[in-house]
Amino acid sequence: MEEKISLLEKEAEEEIKKVKAEKELEEARVRYLGRKSTINQLFSQLPKLEKEKRAYIGRRLNLLKEKIERLIKEKKLQFEKKEEEIDFTVISPCLHVGRKHLLTQVIEEICQIFKNLGFQIIEGNEIEDEWHNFSALNIPLEHPSRDVFDTFYLDLPPQEGGKFLLRSHTSPSQIRVMEKFSPPLAVISPGRVYRPDNPDASHSFMFHQIEGFCVDKEIDFSHLKGVLFYFAQSFFSPQVKLRFRPHYFPFTEPSAEVDISCIICQGKGCSVCKGKGWLEVLGCGMIHPKVLKNCGINPKKFSGFAFGMGVERIAMLKYRIADIRIFFENDVRFLEQF
Amino acid sequence: MKFTLNFIKEFFNPQKEASYIAERLTLAGVEVESLKKENDDWIFEIEVTSNRADLLSIFGLANEISAVLGKRLKILFPSIKKKTVDLKISIEDKKDCPLYIASVIKGIKVVKTPDWLKERIANCGINSVNSVVDIGNYSMLKWGHPLHIFDLDKIEGRIFIRRAKEGEFFLGLDGKERRLTSQNLVIADEKKIIALAGIIGAENSCVDENTKNILIETAIFSPLTIRKSRQILGISTESSYRFERKVFPQLLEATRAASVQLILKLCGGNFLGSKKVGGVSSSSKKIKLNVNSLKRYVGVDISFSEAKNILERLNCKVSKENKEVLKIEPPFFRDDLKEEVDIIEEVIRIYGYEKVPEKLPSILPQKDDFYFWLSFKEFLTRLGLKEIITYSIVKESYLEKLKEKNFIKIVNPLRKEENALRTNLLLGIIEAIRYNLNQKNKIDGFFEIAHLYRKEDGRFIEEPYLGIGIIEKPLYLKSYIEEILKFLNIVNFEFKKEDLPNFTSALFVEKDKKIVGFLGNLKKELRDFFDIKKEIYFAQLNLSLLKEMRKDKFFKPFSFYPKVSRDISLAKKKEFPFENIMEIIKSSVGEYLESVEVIDTYRGEKIPPDFEGFTLRLHYRSFERTLQSEEVDKLHNQLRKKLLFPEVKGKIILR
Repeated sequence: MEEKISLLEKEAEEEIKKVKAEKELEEARVRYLGRKSTINQLFSQLPKLEKEKRAYIGRRLNLLKEKIERLIKEKKLQFEKKEEEIDFTVISPCLHVGRKHLLTQVIEEICQIFKNLGFQIIEGNEIEDEWHNFSALNIPLEHPSRDVFDTFYLDLPPQEGGKFLLRSHTSPSQIRVMEKFSPPLAVISPGRVYRPDNPDASHSFMFHQIEGFCVDKEIDFSHLKGVLFYFAQSFFSPQVKLRFRPHYFPFTEPSAEVDISCIICQGKGCSVCKGKGWLEVLGCGMIHPKVLKNCGINPKKFSGFAFGMGVERIAMLKYRIADIRIFFENDVRFLEQF
Repeated sequence: MKFTLNFIKEFFNPQKEASYIAERLTLAGVEVESLKKENDDWIFEIEVTSNRADLLSIFGLANEISAVLGKRLKILFPSIKKKTVDLKISIEDKKDCPLYIASVIKGIKVVKTPDWLKERIANCGINSVNSVVDIGNYSMLKWGHPLHIFDLDKIEGRIFIRRAKEGEFFLGLDGKERRLTSQNLVIADEKKIIALAGIIGAENSCVDENTKNILIETAIFSPLTIRKSRQILGISTESSYRFERKVFPQLLEATRAASVQLILKLCGGNFLGSKKVGGVSSSSKKIKLNVNSLKRYVGVDISFSEAKNILERLNCKVSKENKEVLKIEPPFFRDDLKEEVDIIEEVIRIYGYEKVPEKLPSILPQKDDFYFWLSFKEFLTRLGLKEIITYSIVKESYLEKLKEKNFIKIVNPLRKEENALRTNLLLGIIEAIRYNLNQKNKIDGFFEIAHLYRKEDGRFIEEPYLGIGIIEKPLYLKSYIEEILKFLNIVNFEFKKEDLPNFTSALFVEKDKKIVGFLGNLKKELRDFFDIKKEIYFAQLNLSLLKEMRKDKFFKPFSFYPKVSRDISLAKKKEFPFENIMEIIKSSVGEYLESVEVIDTYRGEKIPPDFEGFTLRLHYRSFERTLQSEEVDKLHNQLRKKLLFPEVKGKIILR
């Protein structure tokens, strides 16, 4: 029996050494350690032996079993070491990565900033009537102040609000919300607007605006400044400076245009700000009492501010895009950048 | 509007650097767009907002600059003796022309324009013509009222201010001939049109170097009439620009007097007098300003006396009504000041917007759908789709090609052919795919979320939709829809075969008998029409319906017992719908079937040519116990038998 064990040991040792593939090793494992293996047979013969021999042979068999297990394990490790390496220097395959359009990202970011202040996001319709696009906003129907609001008219039969048109700004949302709900109100309304401008690097007949307004008791011009400061510093940079220039809009009084210190040259003067050091980013003001009245809000009790900005313009400034048309070409190479 | 520092000095000397003046003006709301030095003068170019007609004159600008720099400007208006001259003038409609004054000077000599005068108007952007015309333009620039000077000898008989007759022709001083309509107001004599009222003079009556006798026209025309008249002809002049905004009878007088005086001085001649037809009354109004409203509106304490001082600098007459209220009478040329808020703005803009502190209002946050739509778009990108934004205005001919009806048209389109609002998102997707194919870009798939518009019962419907377009692996389109509905937790929807005019293989997506969308393969004929070389698989979903249908998500328990899977290989006749196989599977293996997936498809020699092969993997699982191999085998064999039933013979082959 002892001889058998020695022979087996030698045989196993040699064979495992010779093994060249993982599959052969598995075969060897089955042969030497499996249910039908010699070792197992020898183990089953143990009870037949005399007591002292039984203990001795048993120990040797166990040692042999452990040795074979160890040899197999060592061999296995060798194979594992030889596992094929991945060549990560190969050009990686293309993934299908979805993207939100840059304008969507900018709109979402701006809305998020105002949401942090407690504003509510309400979107309006793009088809509007003259009342909501002009008259309610204190813009007379035939007046030079309408020149900047050239408008696409639609072939829909006029209703009580006058002719139908594609809104030329997002301000009608202001009217819609104020007609429907009473103050306190703090609303942001993003969306598409349309003006018959011939397309060029800075004009598009369709673009996006974001309108914001806040109406409550005791809302004053300093709140307008505070809110827009918060916005500009969150969106552009904490270092950005703001300049409020008096301006004229029929729907606000006092009105202002807001400039930020040029984000490219930090106000030193460059080609983007045309040497002025300032970039115009939005228009704003205190909502005209007539506009509040038009929406059934008592201007003696409530006051409010409103502002509006062009999303494309702001995106162009922030991401240094020179031509507005690129937003609507939807070139994959553009979409993939953001 | 351009003006120069030397021109301002004709009124007062600001004694400040031009750049300082420019900055103060900008911060007071008169934006200086450019500032340029020209010899010993500075040229300012400013943006004049439509409410400030007063800033369209050097006089008004001097008043503004003076106020901004801290002083009230004392104004002396030029005047001339009243003398009447006999002229025959008829105004057809006083609404078009409430006032017309013709002043006559005889015996003048059209001399060389002095250099200083030439320079003044040139620096303000007006070319020199001859001394008489130059004086007219100089006076207009200085006092703000447009005027026109005729050669009196070229006018034949009575002067008429009337609407043009339909189809009358007019040759303007710009050398262009225009066909007029009844929208145009003209100045005419008994034989011809001598000017397009308020816009431009005619060549037939202009002053030239031989002119001896002149007629100076100063009038007030209706802003609306001038606006329509010039819009219809597509021109804009210094004159029409001013008439459209607002002119003032007091400035008319000043302009008239200034031009007559200067012509007499530089060109000689005798002022014979003038003929006035019509008249306008100007009323002065008083506005009250409560200092408390000033504080309430602006959020800053401005003292009573400071407000008073600012308003007086602007040439308002200010009196104290009581401790809190000021009574203000704005100067006649500031008729944009109508109510208290206008006065508040005046005070605050001169005081300085920069001095108003910044405060944040306290707002109670309110609910909205913002985060839902944000996460919805986010989810679409997780599907690997790229968002595009395309134009809502499309070609009518394209909509007609797509057999769309009830679309809304634009009455005044920018380009004649692009005159309709889109009724589907397909055209945008096609455009984006075509563009990127031409650029040889890799296209994974696009989506767009936008409003669509259509007419319905004389009104309009505008609703948000989602469009998806891909050019490879059409089955993925269905996966996208399934995943989107799963994301929105919309269950029990069905895909139903449907004939759509623009698509083959089209399916409706239906839930509760409502059509929430469709998908399909764009017909070849349309691909050819739109010149696209690849197939386009397109889906469109109605987002307002989906928004209504979406449900909150709650955890759905799943089985913890192991899954047992069995494969089956079969081939089906191509026109035999796969869903029929699914029905057989469902009806025969029943409750333990968890899901079925296609793990392989095959077309080739081993099956008949009109067949396609599938290897399906059926997953079985129970909620209550571990399924035994034998019972699953039994179920699976039942299925194999059913697939061999005579009803489906010749349509399904087991492999």
